[in-house]
Amino acid sequence: MKKLVLSTLSLTLFLAACNGNEEETVNEPADEGVEEGVTEEDGEETAETESRVLTDGLGNDVEIPENPEAIIASYLEDYLLALDVIPAAQWSISDGEGVQFYLQDELSDVPTIPYDLPYEAVMEFEPDFIMIRDQLEQDMVDQYNLIAPTYVLNASPTDWRETMREIGTVLDHEEAAETVIDEYDTRAEETASLVEEQADGESAAAIWMIDTSLFVVHPERSSGAVLYGDAGFEIPSVVDQLSDDADWAAVSLEELAEMEVDHLFLISDDEESSLTEDRLWQNIPAVQNDAVYTFDSQSAWLYYGPIANEQVLGFIEDSIQ
Amino acid sequence: MTHVDDHSPLKDKVFKRSLFLFLFLLFLLAVLILISLGSGHLSLTPADIWLTLTGSGTGAQELLLYQFRLPRIILAVLVGIGMASAGAIFQGVTQNGLADPGIIGIHSGSGFFVVLFLYLVSLSQDQPPVWANIGLPFVAFAGGTTAALLIYVLAWKEGITPVRLVLVGIGINAGFSAALLLIQLRMSESDFNRAIIWLSGSIWNASWATVLRLIPWILIFLPLALYKARILSVMQLGEEMAVGLGTAVEKERVKLLIIAVALSAASVSVAGGIAFVGLVAPHLARRLVGGKFQRMIPVSAMIGAILIVLSDSIARTVLAPSEIPVGLIVSVIGAPYFIYLLITIKE
Repeated sequence: MKKLVLSTLSLTLFLAACNGNEEETVNEPADEGVEEGVTEEDGEETAETESRVLTDGLGNDVEIPENPEAIIASYLEDYLLALDVIPAAQWSISDGEGVQFYLQDELSDVPTIPYDLPYEAVMEFEPDFIMIRDQLEQDMVDQYNLIAPTYVLNASPTDWRETMREIGTVLDHEEAAETVIDEYDTRAEETASLVEEQADGESAAAIWMIDTSLFVVHPERSSGAVLYGDAGFEIPSVVDQLSDDADWAAVSLEELAEMEVDHLFLISDDEESSLTEDRLWQNIPAVQNDAVYTFDSQSAWLYYGPIANEQVLGFIEDSIQ
Repeated sequence: MTHVDDHSPLKDKVFKRSLFLFLFLLFLLAVLILISLGSGHLSLTPADIWLTLTGSGTGAQELLLYQFRLPRIILAVLVGIGMASAGAIFQGVTQNGLADPGIIGIHSGSGFFVVLFLYLVSLSQDQPPVWANIGLPFVAFAGGTTAALLIYVLAWKEGITPVRLVLVGIGINAGFSAALLLIQLRMSESDFNRAIIWLSGSIWNASWATVLRLIPWILIFLPLALYKARILSVMQLGEEMAVGLGTAVEKERVKLLIIAVALSAASVSVAGGIAFVGLVAPHLARRLVGGKFQRMIPVSAMIGAILIVLSDSIARTVLAPSEIPVGLIVSVIGAPYFIYLLITIKE
């Protein structure tokens, strides 16, 4: 398991390094929806006057600084790292105790900031650019703007590709962002062909177990999009019916049994649960065929982003082999 | 309790004592504000504050002080004044020491309308229009008035007895809280979280814009409250006596309630439902200067401001860099006092 994580991470690092190289050669002025980018030759003097202006998710025109060095993009670290950008601070909860553990190989030296971004905590890092996903009130964005230019994303939080492209555009790494997506898709094809080879036409579900509550991933979101959209597992009909507007929908053990799912990716931190003793659980095809794969809740399954998804692809491959 | 005849020679003495107390509280508030300016996640020494105030601080210090801490502290003062004086009036009108706009449903009425308003705005378009924020105090006022009207109508039985008013108010509070929950459950996750934080009472996102939204309400209705304070004092003599003294009790009661609802609703619209301020501040004030509202309202406004500024300083330092909603801190201070009151009040 550890080896798998390490290999996935090193692959990610490798990809990130590739992107980094790409970046240096690219650096062309961006065009789509961007007011005249500044090329390298223009140098520092013009950079200040000719900075790019983009319209953000709140409809504000945000002046994007040239080559921001200290970026705060809380809960968007995955995308930043994919572009080889290290943020000035990283998302955290519970006074810095809870972080995105699956990214810690790259973020371990990055200080934490509370998830709700108190103004003074943001000021402490003296950011020169702030990127925010949540639709905040204009009042609050105005306050952040006093600290540094603040950009609220347009992209839907449930669409990582759209998010990746937008962040690429904002940070003037458009082509690098495309490369991240292309390389991910290539990587996903490998997984898909492995799934076709090993488990053609079989169904799968990712189930998050908290004590005795079960949640199933939305088929088009988070690791659900990877499982079905990218790796090509069949979607059990129950999963399709359950999904409404949540990334993870509550599901009963009865409904889970009804799925007759062939592969079960179980996200759970408990070694044992009374649920697994249940007859209904025992009758799930995946349980009978020894195709239940357990992951802890800090792993990439619950997240969004190219790095998270890449790790999930690795988990899938390792599980079905 | 000091029932002092207006012509008595004692008058000056009592007045002087109250004035002295008021000035002392003002001084205390000023000291607290200075301490509060210096406290927070980023440290500012008194020297830094002095340099910044005299115009020779760094840009970052100016930003921190003028754009983040100062509006927040001013907002805390205004909210404290608004909620405490509203509480004093409510207690006077209902002649019930436990009547707090937070307890009898004025806050939850305002809160319900505000959350409903925000929800409807978020449904109709992606970006809340600019006028939405300026409209918030009015929406809150409409909600508070609705709650007050409902209480009034439901409690009416050939006039209104104070006890009925409070009991009905508690029922209204429960009703609005339930309705509030109903809307919240229909909200998206991020809106829900925002509503929760807002409802538990929070001023951490204070800005000059929020201060400007609240300040007209305080500036208009606080003087009105002080102007009406004499009538409130007369009403304490009992309804018959007040009528005998030429007070149109029912009419004045309505006016006073409108003033109190305006003060509390406007405060709620920027800071959420901070409970107990409207209860604790007037109580302490009564102990300090007696039951005359001309003296009691200013003193209780001062205590309210001190309470919120103090709580907010705690709220943003104790778990820094994370913040605790100020309403929770106020409750931690206020709830034991409320229980103490319940135990000591004798029927």
